[in-house]
Amino acid sequence: MELLDYIKASVLLEKYGIKSIRSSYVSTPEEAIKFAGEKNIVLKLLSSKALHKSKAGLVKVGLFDEKHIRSAFGDLVNKGKELKPYKIVAQEMSFGGIEVIIGSNIDQQFGKMVLIGLGGIYVESFKDTSLRICPITRQDAQDMVDQLKSRDVITHGGKSRDMIVGLILKVAKLVQENDISELDLNPVIIRENGYDVVDIRILK
Amino acid sequence: MYKKRFDLKYMLNPRSVAIIGASSSPNKVGHVILQNYIDAGFPGKLYPVNTKEDAILGLKVYKSVLNIKDGVDLAVIAVPAEIVPKVLEECGKAHVKSVIVVSGGFAEMGRADLQDKIISIATKYGIAMLGPNCLGVMDPRSRVDTLFLPTYKLSKPKIGSVSFVSQSGAVGSTVLDLIAKEGFGLSKFISYGNAAVVDEVDILKYLGDDEDTKVIIMYIEGVKRGKEFIEIGKEVTKKKPVIVLKGGVTEQSASAVHSHTASLSGSFAAYQAVFRQFGFIVADDLSDLLNYAKAFSTEHMPKGNRVAIVTNGGGAGVLETDEIFLNNLTLAEFDKTTLENLRKNLPVIVAVRNPLDLVGDADDKRYETALQAISKDPNVDMIIAIVLFQTPGADSKVVSTLIHYKNITDIPIAALSPGADYTSVHKMMMENSGIPVYDSPAAVAKSFAKLLEHSRYLKDNGKE
Repeated sequence: MELLDYIKASVLLEKYGIKSIRSSYVSTPEEAIKFAGEKNIVLKLLSSKALHKSKAGLVKVGLFDEKHIRSAFGDLVNKGKELKPYKIVAQEMSFGGIEVIIGSNIDQQFGKMVLIGLGGIYVESFKDTSLRICPITRQDAQDMVDQLKSRDVITHGGKSRDMIVGLILKVAKLVQENDISELDLNPVIIRENGYDVVDIRILK
Repeated sequence: MYKKRFDLKYMLNPRSVAIIGASSSPNKVGHVILQNYIDAGFPGKLYPVNTKEDAILGLKVYKSVLNIKDGVDLAVIAVPAEIVPKVLEECGKAHVKSVIVVSGGFAEMGRADLQDKIISIATKYGIAMLGPNCLGVMDPRSRVDTLFLPTYKLSKPKIGSVSFVSQSGAVGSTVLDLIAKEGFGLSKFISYGNAAVVDEVDILKYLGDDEDTKVIIMYIEGVKRGKEFIEIGKEVTKKKPVIVLKGGVTEQSASAVHSHTASLSGSFAAYQAVFRQFGFIVADDLSDLLNYAKAFSTEHMPKGNRVAIVTNGGGAGVLETDEIFLNNLTLAEFDKTTLENLRKNLPVIVAVRNPLDLVGDADDKRYETALQAISKDPNVDMIIAIVLFQTPGADSKVVSTLIHYKNITDIPIAALSPGADYTSVHKMMMENSGIPVYDSPAAVAKSFAKLLEHSRYLKDNGKE
């Protein structure tokens, strides 16, 4: 299995109407500072040798000025010595909302599946997820959301339910029409009237 | 796409059966099977096949299936694994329509080579082959019984509407023994073992089309053709309830996991997803299988989640109420007519509310008054009648009252009656008349919750 390039992955998502948060590769602190402009940013080191970025300290969040960006960049370059080849990506910082995971995998018997659940750091602890086999109908996607214990939390009491259902259907279409063996959108930050796909991992 | 490969009717309703490996020594599998056919009163032709003997249990013995001139619908093979390929080849040449290999000693014992050999023979001749390493089939209607277990150790179920499919022979015979105690009875039992040729998809398709089968219960450890299983499964679950217990729940080894999704969507999770998505009813253990089968075999489905409880014991009503809410059901609020009716006709010691506690001295008259009003209440979707037979007023007249209301309403009615000998007599009366009776408050509530879940599935999928 081969990890799809981060920016290429976000372009692929875009094709299916899933917008990921503004991201760009940066090779110097200056590029990162320019990318940030007036906004807070995140810097991430991407390497096939490090599967869990946040656990390995490879995600630097809430960088709001030149000084912080430079020091975070330096730290990542340092850690990257052991993880070559690597790339550093700068992203706009997402605020508020609830972290959700939307993913896909292939089951030996039943084929491609899509998963939704409470995401981010809660994935491992609560394992509050639901799963369906492709093709997935709107009814299936609604059931997936309604089945979660965290249903009311992630849908903001139902207000963002349709948006999440739509995302599930888009991901299902994407994985069915492409040669993808695994996909993780984790986290997707869900707000009442919008969302940000903050991290993407697609394995061909 | 699923293609119908075999017609299992020759296996379950054969006109002639050859028992290959039949024997006159009573401890041989081939002897027990032949004896079972004779005991069950199998109306078709029976052909014992054995190379060494001339007559077994008064029947003429054939040296080979090739010597039987009249054609054979089913051959039951009970010879050592090494000899199976040879006799199977003979079955092919003799145009035998279906075969059950009860012998073990194939893939399950590390002899995949031997299993491959019989698969290729069965495929060459297009024989519907069940097994190897299975108990075979039982059909009390056509009096077919290939189970090689001593009759005195295993009670045989009566003729009924529930069919049972089991990958495992041991789970199969245990559950059959338990079904013998249930009122719903058995339509077909199929134990398919290694699923070398005929597998769960073929069996599900057959039972889905079988008019004598109203409810299917399955014990499976895994399926071989996932896509076809889904295709046939979703077709059958819309026609009749399919209750499934999946063995092998624990996760597979933590092999290199590349993503969160992969670690959260292991094989068991995938099965659960399939069951839920395509309308299977999931049982968590053996007792669920039977409890749900009982509820579904009445063919009465609820329209909503509102439950009325009628009881002759306050405590039992409280326990049942807890279970109702734990299983996402709710208590019905009786409408005005019901309340007036109950207040007018019940003694003052009865507080009119839900759960309706008819008090410890309740007799059939009180149950009659209660059920008469409640069964017509538009706010009631399901009724639980708690009848504690240890109390003075609870007797067979209460049973008759319950049966009467079960017959005149479409609302699911179940009874909760825990107890020993006196109770079990009354339990049997109710179950034989189509009222499911349970021993525990949780079992009733879980079963009703499954009825509701399934009725919602059917509604969402354009049925009902």
